[in-house]
Amino acid sequence: MKNNLKVERAIHGLTQEDLAKKIGVSRQTINAMEANKYVPSTVLALRLAKVFGKQVEDLFQLDESDE
Amino acid sequence: MKQQPLLPYRFKKIGWLLFIPFAIAGIYLHVTDYEPNWITTKVFVIYNESLFSDKKWFSIVETNITSTLIGVGFLAGCLLIAFSREKVEDEFIAGLRLSSLQWAVLVNYSLLLFCFLFIYGFVFMNVLIYNVFTVLLIFIGRFNYLLFKSRKMNADEK
Repeated sequence: MKNNLKVERAIHGLTQEDLAKKIGVSRQTINAMEANKYVPSTVLALRLAKVFGKQVEDLFQLDESDE
Repeated sequence: MKQQPLLPYRFKKIGWLLFIPFAIAGIYLHVTDYEPNWITTKVFVIYNESLFSDKKWFSIVETNITSTLIGVGFLAGCLLIAFSREKVEDEFIAGLRLSSLQWAVLVNYSLLLFCFLFIYGFVFMNVLIYNVFTVLLIFIGRFNYLLFKSRKMNADEK
């Protein structure tokens, strides 16, 4: 799965720490997701979408390895 | 998301405060083969059998509890370290914890299997003594290594 969290975060001018606080996770978690090393739970994906005012699909997309 | 129950973060520090002195005491006793007799007291036993006494069920026995205390302190320290929350606990950290536990069990029993096959005689007793503690120790090592790695990865990133 790929995501554009890093881009969205830059658009909103948030640091990893800011975003982590907004959705109640550790900074490592944000970093691991941005590095494509961690696939978040549905709850976390929905929270991220809410913060950025987007649909989950705008943030996360399947890539070839998932299909 | 629903997560496994864990102790509050402050218990982790208490755990390390127990772990370090008891680990040093335990290693010292083991390396020097010293059998200390600091504290002898009456204790309740469910079952007791030794060379010089009869089998006893559910009774009070007078015995040396020095190594018992050291073992209990050490295990309590390990458990507190292993099962306390991190400062910020979330699903990613919980995932690291679970995968570390799986890794620790696998490594521990692989080592035990290896020792079963290649260590014989009374020295095998030592293997069993170590094995009482190694699952937790390997778990603590692995989990903290993964946490450290994910923090370090963090530091590079803005």
